[in-house]
Amino acid sequence: MSDFQVTVKEAGDVVVLTTDGYLNNIGGEKISEVCDSHMESGKNTFLINLEKTSVVNSIGVSILIEIIEKLQESNGKLAYCNLAPIVEKTFNIMGLTKYSTIYSTEEEGLSDLSS
Amino acid sequence: MAPKDQFKDKVSFYLNSLDELGEVLINQEGSSGLTKGVLRIILGTMMASKGSVLGVKRTRCKILSSHGVSLSPSTLRVNAEQKKALADFKNSNLNQSQIKKIFDPKSSDSVAVHFSDLSASILVPLFHKDNLLGIVALGKKFDGSSYRSLDKKILEIICNHLTDSLYNQELIENIKDKRMELRLKVLELQTLFDISLSLNSVLDIEELSSEVLIRSVSTLNASSGFILKTQKNSPILSVLSSFNVDEDQLKSAIFSKSSLPFKSVWKDKKSIIVSGDKSRSFLNKTNYKECIISPIVGNRNISGCIVLGDKESREGVVPFENNDINILEALSSQAGIAMDNAQLFEDINAAKRFNESIMGSIATSVITMNLLGEIDSVNKAGVELLGKKPNEIIGEHYSYLFSKDKGLCAAIESAELELESFSELGVPLLSKSRNTIVNFSVAPLTDQKGDHLGAVVAIEDITEQSKIKNTFKRYVSKSVVDQLLDDDQKLNLGGEERDVTVLFSDIRGFTAMSEKMTPKEVVRTLNSYFSEMIDIIFKYDGTLDKIVGDELMVVFGAPISRDDDAERAVKTAVGMVEALRKFNEKREKQNKVPINAGIGINKGKVISGNIGSKDQMDYTVIGDTVNLGARLCSFAGPLKIIISQSVKDEIGDLYKTRKLDAIKVKGKRKPVEIFKVLT
Repeated sequence: MSDFQVTVKEAGDVVVLTTDGYLNNIGGEKISEVCDSHMESGKNTFLINLEKTSVVNSIGVSILIEIIEKLQESNGKLAYCNLAPIVEKTFNIMGLTKYSTIYSTEEEGLSDLSS
Repeated sequence: MAPKDQFKDKVSFYLNSLDELGEVLINQEGSSGLTKGVLRIILGTMMASKGSVLGVKRTRCKILSSHGVSLSPSTLRVNAEQKKALADFKNSNLNQSQIKKIFDPKSSDSVAVHFSDLSASILVPLFHKDNLLGIVALGKKFDGSSYRSLDKKILEIICNHLTDSLYNQELIENIKDKRMELRLKVLELQTLFDISLSLNSVLDIEELSSEVLIRSVSTLNASSGFILKTQKNSPILSVLSSFNVDEDQLKSAIFSKSSLPFKSVWKDKKSIIVSGDKSRSFLNKTNYKECIISPIVGNRNISGCIVLGDKESREGVVPFENNDINILEALSSQAGIAMDNAQLFEDINAAKRFNESIMGSIATSVITMNLLGEIDSVNKAGVELLGKKPNEIIGEHYSYLFSKDKGLCAAIESAELELESFSELGVPLLSKSRNTIVNFSVAPLTDQKGDHLGAVVAIEDITEQSKIKNTFKRYVSKSVVDQLLDDDQKLNLGGEERDVTVLFSDIRGFTAMSEKMTPKEVVRTLNSYFSEMIDIIFKYDGTLDKIVGDELMVVFGAPISRDDDAERAVKTAVGMVEALRKFNEKREKQNKVPINAGIGINKGKVISGNIGSKDQMDYTVIGDTVNLGARLCSFAGPLKIIISQSVKDEIGDLYKTRKLDAIKVKGKRKPVEIFKVLT
């Protein structure tokens, strides 16, 4: 199986996760782990760059919803950028975009979330 | 404190608790926040140090909130027997001994262990009608006293509220689940819709299969998948595309449609779920615990299959369901049609390329035009013939392209109007140049139904052939020229040794005869004599080598050799004699002297080729065979044919012959055997 990769960097208060691969159960868990550990250290704004993730399934999406629910408790935010059209469509249908924001680029997301 | 005041305080304390409970029930969202708040109130109100609220769903029992006790394991199990026993305490509570009776602390039962950890002294089952939604369990009171009836009453009141809230929570959760299910259905439908759209627009098979695969994997929550396709003349299926699988493992695996599990898919044309030990060898190849295989059925035939492995859930790999089969079949049946279309498109392209390469390789110019007379296509030969770039030809009207060739334009017009073919041979193509000689034919273009589409013009550039024809037509018959032009391998005009038959004829006593005639009469007589003779020579495909004075030299076997060269030479000679007899009959009627020619024929090796100076080259043959032929001619009397032994051997019994006395020939030691052909 191909590995799902997550790389993390911090830009001010925003934690940027860059993913690579199929956002399924495994991919979602990896994202969730990263978010959990940063939430424990007080971070609550996350931007996921999905440029290299062209496929998601509903399990991956439901994990993202869980992350959003956790973040809501601490008034945190989850946002995404560089979404493939098919991924954006899936997020829309699964109701993800009601509780999180989509940016077209990482720069746009960072400048908006940092302000 | 007076008992009255004590009671008052107690009532006030309980009322405060209930008031607080109201706030918790109203403000808390989600079962976790709710139970946490309610447990806090219960513990405070009951003055207990340990307690927990369990949520129950079927047999699964989850600690929603707890205090003073270890959380693990967070998921417990409550069995049907225990649930049944708890039902006896609906709207009531259990004391410590009743708890121990149902949840034996000595057993390893997970819920019993949890209650034992709590030292559970009082327990309230939370029933909504007959449905057990949860359990509230409390440890001992701080002060070690036992729970009094008022405590129990207040606990029941609080628990009743908690039950209602948990029921509402469950309803909300159910609605959320239903909403999620609905969204998943929308996603499935959207995927089917998207796929059908992209299937109509994508015509590359690999791109198409990749799209279908990715959408299938994500829609069915599979962890990975691949598409296999059938190969011509082999049962082995090749990998067309894959997603999220170990490529190396896939490459090394052999999948055959004649072995399980594919065999049954191919036989029944139905999707199957592959799991269990029977399919272990196949599952090992793919590292799947379970997979689903759906055939891609196109035009009745199965062109391949989609294999999706390991359906994901939040709790790990779960079995594929019937609904997954339905969705995958819907996707794969669309894929089948689309892949058929893509294959058809590829076949058409291949046929088009094949057609173009044929058109490009043929020497004849082929130009097609539409109903408006605009050029649609032109092949390589056409581009070269017209001396223009393809874009200067395509789209032009034929009357512009062939503006100087009225005949060709008229033929195209007629072909279009009358829907018949027209052709002309050996005409100049003036639109190119005066010296370009072509044969052209024009035919109307129709489709399979016979509807008129335009016209096709085939133009054969015969400029070169015309030159050859002009060169040779003086020497050889048209059929020889045609043969030469058909196969230029036969045309070897360089020097070479070859076997030929030579025929000589000359007019006996011509010099004496010509002296009695005017020069004009001599020329006229010779021309009419030669004309008669040459017709016969060409009739038998002889090559007129030369005419010297009244002498004719004809070669059979150069430039083209044939098996019956000698035979044709003798037939020519016989024909010439017969023609000459008729010719003389006419002359006699005109009171003119007869022409009496003698003919000699020899066969043997000669040197042939273009012989002469660079200014005057002639294709001829030379050698002893030629010289002997000329000698035989000189021996032949008027209207007689003399042939050599070699010619006699060739013609067999075709004509009767009579052996004559052998003759001495210069340069030959032995006398030469000669024969007279009896005509």
